[in-house]
Amino acid sequence: MVELRAEPEGRGWRHYGSRAVVYALLALITVVMLYPFYYMGINSVRSLDQYYAGHGFSLASWRNLFHTLPIGRQLLNSTIITLSAIAIILAVSTTGGYAFAVLRYRASRLVFVAIVAAMMVPIQSIIAPEFVNLAHWGFINHRYGAILVYAALGAPFATFLMTVYFQRIPVDVVEAALIDGLGYGRIFFRIMLPLAVPAMATIAVLQFIFVWDDLLVGLLFLQNPDVRPITVGLATIPSQHLLDIPLLMAGSLISALPAVIVYLLFQRYLMSGLTMGISK
Amino acid sequence: MFTLPVVTLVGILLLYPIAQTVYHSFTVWDGITSHWVGTATYSQLFAKPEFVQVLENNALLVLSIPVAIAFPLGVAFLIQSKLRGWRFFRSVFFLPTAVSWVVIAYVGIRFFADDGILQHLLNGVGLGFWHPNMLSNERSALIAVMITFVWSMFGTNLIIFLAGMATVDQELYDAARVDGAGSFTVLTKITIPLLRRFIQFAFIVTLIAAFTALFSLIFVMTSGGPGYGTTTLEFFIYEQAFQTGDFGLASTAGVILFLAVAAVGLMQLRFFKGED
Repeated sequence: MVELRAEPEGRGWRHYGSRAVVYALLALITVVMLYPFYYMGINSVRSLDQYYAGHGFSLASWRNLFHTLPIGRQLLNSTIITLSAIAIILAVSTTGGYAFAVLRYRASRLVFVAIVAAMMVPIQSIIAPEFVNLAHWGFINHRYGAILVYAALGAPFATFLMTVYFQRIPVDVVEAALIDGLGYGRIFFRIMLPLAVPAMATIAVLQFIFVWDDLLVGLLFLQNPDVRPITVGLATIPSQHLLDIPLLMAGSLISALPAVIVYLLFQRYLMSGLTMGISK
Repeated sequence: MFTLPVVTLVGILLLYPIAQTVYHSFTVWDGITSHWVGTATYSQLFAKPEFVQVLENNALLVLSIPVAIAFPLGVAFLIQSKLRGWRFFRSVFFLPTAVSWVVIAYVGIRFFADDGILQHLLNGVGLGFWHPNMLSNERSALIAVMITFVWSMFGTNLIIFLAGMATVDQELYDAARVDGAGSFTVLTKITIPLLRRFIQFAFIVTLIAAFTALFSLIFVMTSGGPGYGTTTLEFFIYEQAFQTGDFGLASTAGVILFLAVAAVGLMQLRFFKGED
């Protein structure tokens, strides 16, 4: 009886009508969100003439792309830089988070606050001294220079996340392990790290997308095309190619693809990372 | 000992440089030699008409935030988590987040260009006489940047609001419906007040993105132009340091950006603490 009063219209036309409107709206947004990918795809398989004509297909632009940019090399650079930065971020954030959450030495609270405060430093604010420092150390035009900068940029948030994550693990777990005669080092490797895998996955996916898609760090610290990642290569494509739309679309597609694949495979971790800041 | 790696990394590559930025913001610095000037650098910076325009551009970017929040909030309300296929839509709407601004910018140019997608759409609906040619005019180019920004933030804010919706007790909705409340009343009287925390969070995320994440979009889509039309603070810093060679002025502007971001960060901290 209550259900009848709750929905006076029942399952009538109004109910299905409004649902149809919602789906139509969602379909429209889907088109708006996906159209750029369709646009890249369809125009990348055209030659410049076919692009202007609006029909016909060829792989000329893809062949062209591989002559214009060292695509293979730059994809490899992107992969090396991204994976290395992620490895460093995971290493320093798990050890740091473990220490801040479990070991808690004197002044560790203060050090933790300093690390968290570093989250508020935008790379643009420090770009001038960072460049001068890296140049001084001879780190410009070496992949490890950019890797270290990316690692530093990702480390504060990752450390914060790991600290919060480790704090949730009951103290008893550590105490029991201590009684069993395990040292702090073994507790970290045998107990804490395995428990932290989901948080590490979140950090890895977030950072993969951030580093792969970034321009500024690679643009400034890697000025030699041979060490540049693909995103930077694409953004700095020689200006005579800027009117070759099919070529640009092919380049856009190939540079976007790896991050999109990572997103599609691991989106669960990305979304949980985004909302981790607010859900208790 | 366990904190040594992270302290070294962050200390040398983030905290030490921000201290340098603050120091050099009071100096004339070309990257090699610098000499102390004092606060005159700040008055010099604010006296520059192009810098005033840069600040204005940032202020205008802030205006896009309510739009970047309203759309996904409305859609999250429609989807909630009971609509069939909502996971599919969520994945699709979040997809732009995985794509580089560089790529988005190249497609953005094709969208807004005078012979681009937007013009084709206008031609299609009989408005072909109107040529907005958005990227060729200072203000409309900034609007083009803002539209692209709103488009790309849609998924992020949607995820935040969907997470928020999931925390709302379903019985509240049912009770409201029993009392005869329409969808709009439910949205304004129940959903929005209950999601306050999530809306604040989305606001902060969007604001920080607007101030610090648009470099690549602007670099590729407009190069900060026409004129200084789309030069925001972060782009201005890059331009001053690496195109003009004025590292001192770039540091001064860098301090301003840092203060803005830190203020927003502290706001976030405060409202998290307020919740406990």
